[in-house]
Amino acid sequence: MFFRIYKYSLLRSTRDRLMVFWNLVFPIILGSLFQVAFGNYTEKEVLFHQIPVAYVKEEGADGNFTELLEILETDSELIQVQTVGKDKAEQLLRDGEVEGIYYNKTAEETDGQAEGIYDNEPGKETDGQEELGITLVVQEQDMNQSILNSILEQYERTCATLLTIGKEYPEGIQEAAKLLEEDTKYLKENSMGAASDNGILDYFYSLIAMNCLMGATTGLLCSVEFKADLSALAARRVVAGHSRFQVLWPDLAAKITLQFIYIVFTACYLMFVLHVPLGEQWGFLLLTIFVGSLLGIFLGFFIGVAGRMQYSMKEALCILIMMVSSFFSGLMMDGMQRLVEQYAPVFARINPASLIVKSFYSLNIYETYGRYLQNLGTMLVLILVLAAGSFAMVRRERYASI
Amino acid sequence: MGKKVVEIENLVKRYKELIALDHLNLAVEEGEIFGLLGPNGSGKTTAINCILALLYFDKGSVKVFGKEMQPDSYEIKRQIGVVLQNVAVFEELTVQENIDYFCGLYIQDKMVRKKYVEEAMVFSGLEEFRKFYPKKLSGGLLRRLNIACGIAHKPKLIIMDEPTVAVDPQSRNRILEGIQMLNKEGAAIIYTSHYMEEVEQICSRIAILDKGRCVASGTKEELKSMIKMGEKIHMEVMNLLPFQIAEIKELRHVYQVEYQDGMLEICCSGGKHNLVHILDYFNSREIGFGRVYSELPTLNDVFLEITGKKLRDSAETA
Repeated sequence: MFFRIYKYSLLRSTRDRLMVFWNLVFPIILGSLFQVAFGNYTEKEVLFHQIPVAYVKEEGADGNFTELLEILETDSELIQVQTVGKDKAEQLLRDGEVEGIYYNKTAEETDGQAEGIYDNEPGKETDGQEELGITLVVQEQDMNQSILNSILEQYERTCATLLTIGKEYPEGIQEAAKLLEEDTKYLKENSMGAASDNGILDYFYSLIAMNCLMGATTGLLCSVEFKADLSALAARRVVAGHSRFQVLWPDLAAKITLQFIYIVFTACYLMFVLHVPLGEQWGFLLLTIFVGSLLGIFLGFFIGVAGRMQYSMKEALCILIMMVSSFFSGLMMDGMQRLVEQYAPVFARINPASLIVKSFYSLNIYETYGRYLQNLGTMLVLILVLAAGSFAMVRRERYASI
Repeated sequence: MGKKVVEIENLVKRYKELIALDHLNLAVEEGEIFGLLGPNGSGKTTAINCILALLYFDKGSVKVFGKEMQPDSYEIKRQIGVVLQNVAVFEELTVQENIDYFCGLYIQDKMVRKKYVEEAMVFSGLEEFRKFYPKKLSGGLLRRLNIACGIAHKPKLIIMDEPTVAVDPQSRNRILEGIQMLNKEGAAIIYTSHYMEEVEQICSRIAILDKGRCVASGTKEELKSMIKMGEKIHMEVMNLLPFQIAEIKELRHVYQVEYQDGMLEICCSGGKHNLVHILDYFNSREIGFGRVYSELPTLNDVFLEITGKKLRDSAETA
């Protein structure tokens, strides 16, 4: 019986043109429009590529910074360093071969020419490097230059901290060095994270998140066909000679399957047709999409079984939640996630669309899976809460009124 | 007396302050078509939902096939077919797929199911429309599909809740004939309606509901014998004077006379030859008259006499 109901449920869903439009066609159209709007960014493939930088080091200059650059080049593959002379470096910058030049001079030779950050004119240098003698010259203000500056700033902070600890608490210097080493890893994650802070990929992540949450309307439909006090169809199924859940499981399974397929199709379209670099970890990408689909469908199912509002009201509520959730995940505005993190951190941690976006983000940006698993775990907890709440509400089998 | 298929005892169902079922007692026997007749809001659908264990009730008991009906009485439910008042089919499935889907909730054997689905389509006259989607069907055909989905698995008890609402006369006749055919094949049927003609035409026993109470039950003959009226005579008469109306009222077996717009309506109690007596009176007074016809009491008259209101009027105003 399971497979027969599953088959019919799949058939019904694929024949529902409205559902196919909203769950499959609409995200593809929206994705294409995003591509038209931001296409040049993704085509440049600025993400996940090492940032070329020239390094001019004078004799007797700070050797630690040289080591840091080596680590960032070899271990983290964040930057690509060319150690050259001053003239060559400037030539490379003018030709656009590198994104910036690190000057590592001896402290005495620093001439204090650094004023202001990112003047967008060649030759201008960043400030604050007088003491260490390290300066950064950039061609223009962009994301990559921001990363190069972050590296320098982080290095400065580290040196300043160690200097202070060395002066005031010399016995703890070893421990401090260890902690700062971890901090450097954070710098790496942060810097790489900044690579997507251009917001372009976030739009596409949000699009997929919205697609996942569109499953809410499917879940809602499932609940309407399940509760006898919501539709005659449900009543007819309830009075059949089987447990109601024997009919529900294949129905839910079919809806989840189809939602998953729709989103995978959208993701494939984004990646292979529009060349949006969503990432290469297919297994985890699919897992995220699957969990996202579950989240969307159980959200709709929960809304469906809760209360006795009219179907149209519940449908409107589903769409409202989907849109609000997607909006705050950055579907319509760059930097929205940061604002939400800043002003409503709790909401940021439970907003379904944000969780899906952050899962993609952390999966593709960070080398470790800690943050990814954290987001995925939160989604699973949400699904569990929604499912448990739903089943608690439908556990009774008789109704007060129909 | 046949074996009882459904037994309802002292059933009370309240919706907050409203009493939907007020100590309802009913019994449906094997092989009969049992009609539940009453205006909208009289408690017919509530009674059906209680029988199907869809609704909580406040008091009483419901037994189906001799066992207490519970939501998890799956064995009992497998022997019941339900045709609900609202059409309950999937818009995205064809006629054949819909019947197969609902039949499949009861019949697991693929070959048997295929045969049953085919039979249900023939029974409901939907063979030509098997590939049609419900939205392409007329109201009558849609109702027939609704019925086919409820009876395809050949249940022993069929519950039909106003299956002919908003159906054209042709489809209605087809549905009523089909119900009688199902009954001949051995199914007990509970049929609810506020159309007295339908109930009178097909039901072997009838219960009349009003405000959640069973006000009368029995065969249609038994119900009609419960009331005073035995015959109603209608005459076209011009310019009838008040004293003549009073004289007619005095005639034997006549207990009520109404005269309006040249139409005289005379209600007579159970005596024979009432029409002859009345025509004699008109001839003796040399009063001219036009068309004359006589009718036996209907269930509407039964309802009117018992409740003080017309069944159809109640249905329309409810």
